[in-house]
Amino acid sequence: MRRLLTALCLVAAALPAAAQTPRNTAVLMREIDADRYDPVRSTARSAGEVIYMMSDTLVSMDWDMQTIRPGLAQSWEVSPDGKTYTFHLRTDVTFCDGRPMVADDVVYTIKRWIDPETRSPVAWRAGKVKDIRATDAHTVVYELEEPFSELLAQLTLFFASVVDRNTVERLGANFGVQGFNGTGPYCWESWTPRQDLVLTRHPTYAWGPPIFENRGPAQIERIIWRVVPEATARLAALQTGAADATQYIPNVALDQLRRVPSVTVTTQPNYLWDFYMAFKVDKPFVSDATARRAMAMAINKPALVRAVWFGHAQPAVNIINPVALDYDAASDALVPGFDPPGAMKLLDEAGWVLGSDGVRVKDGVRASFLTYGINTLENQRQSEIMQQALRRIGVEMRIQFFDATVAWGRMATQEFGAVFLSYPYFSAGDALSLYFPSTQRPSPNRMNWNDPQTDAWLAQARSATDPAVRATALANVQRQLAEANVWITTAREQLFVGASNRVTGARAHGLYGVGLYKALDLRVVR
Amino acid sequence: MSGGVTSAAISARPSVLRLVFRDIAAAAAASFLILMVLAAALAPWIAPVDPYETDLMSVMSPPGGDYLLGTDGQGRDMFSRLLFGLRVTLLMGVAALVVGGIIGVAIGLIAAHWRWLDGVLMRLMDVMLSFPAILFGLALAAIFGPGLVAVVIALSVATVPLMARIARSTALVVMAQDYIEAARATGMGSFRLIRRHLAPNCVAPLLVFATLRLGQVILLGSALSFLGLGAQAPTAELGAMAAQGRTFLFFAPHIAVIPSLAIFGIVLACNVLGDALRDALDPKLRP
Repeated sequence: MRRLLTALCLVAAALPAAAQTPRNTAVLMREIDADRYDPVRSTARSAGEVIYMMSDTLVSMDWDMQTIRPGLAQSWEVSPDGKTYTFHLRTDVTFCDGRPMVADDVVYTIKRWIDPETRSPVAWRAGKVKDIRATDAHTVVYELEEPFSELLAQLTLFFASVVDRNTVERLGANFGVQGFNGTGPYCWESWTPRQDLVLTRHPTYAWGPPIFENRGPAQIERIIWRVVPEATARLAALQTGAADATQYIPNVALDQLRRVPSVTVTTQPNYLWDFYMAFKVDKPFVSDATARRAMAMAINKPALVRAVWFGHAQPAVNIINPVALDYDAASDALVPGFDPPGAMKLLDEAGWVLGSDGVRVKDGVRASFLTYGINTLENQRQSEIMQQALRRIGVEMRIQFFDATVAWGRMATQEFGAVFLSYPYFSAGDALSLYFPSTQRPSPNRMNWNDPQTDAWLAQARSATDPAVRATALANVQRQLAEANVWITTAREQLFVGASNRVTGARAHGLYGVGLYKALDLRVVR
Repeated sequence: MSGGVTSAAISARPSVLRLVFRDIAAAAAASFLILMVLAAALAPWIAPVDPYETDLMSVMSPPGGDYLLGTDGQGRDMFSRLLFGLRVTLLMGVAALVVGGIIGVAIGLIAAHWRWLDGVLMRLMDVMLSFPAILFGLALAAIFGPGLVAVVIALSVATVPLMARIARSTALVVMAQDYIEAARATGMGSFRLIRRHLAPNCVAPLLVFATLRLGQVILLGSALSFLGLGAQAPTAELGAMAAQGRTFLFFAPHIAVIPSLAIFGIVLACNVLGDALRDALDPKLRP
């Protein structure tokens, strides 16, 4: 295997196409492009990874994924009732076109985000806003209807990136397609969809998050975000230095890549990106909670995760990751372990009788369901392994995966019984209030989970000003969902950023799954 | 003396089959194809394990060892999957060839017999011919969803115009023969004429073309499956298996290489056999 990698390396090195990247340029590779780069209109990680470089948020996230650090706001105060946030902005910030950024720009940005006309799919992340106003050129007052304990963390996400009103109005629907104007360390130069997005350095930038060593402008003049869909091509490019960094490394290649002297791989232990299969709890067969419990017992998660992620992900138990804020350890104990005979017994007792075709039946309903998902390598592999595991207990799982362009539309329908997805989050409250409020049906609450008690607990957690109250409410939800087996959470992925020896400072961050965040420490050294 | 002449005449015109098998390459190709068909037909009895059974402890194990041809990315036995994959791939190819062939030949013969229809039908075939099969497969998959049926339809449609053209050109030559004139003179009806005299005399070139086409259809079908439009998981199909192994090409090459080699072998065998058949059936090339 290693010899093959070396051979691949030599072949690629011999190609004239692997021409030298200029000293002032770094090439970052990714798997897919985004449809647009407007912060409020895209939820794709591929949009986020560029938007974080082109713009800034009021506050930023530390490497621990929990501590909030200054961003465009150098300080802030929260009123005792938790409803009013006052942000004091830096005075030296300018947009890429040179215009100074003031409080009105922040007000405009947030108002545009939550404006119903914008139809942002993530407007809820801004909290229930009563009013946002600029009290002077560098002070923003952010007033809420009710406390929102996670507001600051939500404001670190790229959806809240401050944008220039003039450019938004000039470009209209083409904002983020034909151009962009933010305050970030890099500025939009050009975009060839599904190929290259080119950024140039913002020369006066000096307001980066304090988590980076570099406090001045970015150290590379040009960044080329290049779409390289084939994993093997990305690996070859990284090893030959034809490209400089990527977080899209196939798990199968990680061990070998770490042994390649010209490549450095960094990881982020506080990374939150989980894979799950969610049941639509009002569809035939999967509406039976006992059947869902039996299915959870049929799957050997550690073996599955080892096989699919080659040991580079952690098997999951309940919905929330142990490193996340407000994770409830007790709820993990409520999720049944791997026990196929127990699963068979449970189904037998519930009246699901094995038919002649190997699929169980009860009252004329077959133990069969359809799953939807995006056609990715991990989804293909884990779903086929789970399909076989379920077949062993007499359950038929039919798989239909779609290309990412159509999958989201299909997954918002009521056509399926379960769905395979993966997602980034930063706390229990973030994950649970994204997926489980009844108001989030049919998408992203694709489970059709409609429970007044869940809604009440989530509302309580959202508006809690006391962290202990919030933790208790969220623990209740985690236990309730564990007992209902609404999800089979399979894997907790890890983040790995690989960089060629042409560059240094490519440290894995991982906010919203984005590997390089602002990449302020990234430097070309040879 | 006359007896000697007769036997010499007989030995100078050996059977087509014997002519084909005189060519070592063609004999090898035919044997290979027969072996493949047998392997596919007997798959449930030969396969050592269930092709869908996953062994998570030995994912991507190389050939040799516990599994003859190793395991794939989900820990499934490659040998068993190859046997079942052959089944699906060959069935897909033959089904498309039969459907496309019957329709195509019918159109070709009609065009040759009823000359006033010739222009319309052949222009229609030209239109169909100018449409790439892969694109048509993509369109069908978009409408009906991906699956084997969509692939078979796409491949059939791609085969129809080719078969129609060959059938028509052969039939036109046959139509000019004296025995057709004689049959007509006896007052034989059109359908009977086509069935009794026209069709049987067009078989040779069509058979050659069908053999060659089978290879192409299998290749095209595998390509559509490779693109994810054909067989859906967990169905074993050679093109889909190659697609699944592609990501691991540099880590577990056997997953992509084994089904690819099987496709390669089948297509090559079809081509060699088709060429040999043509040589054997062409009187000008006979010894």
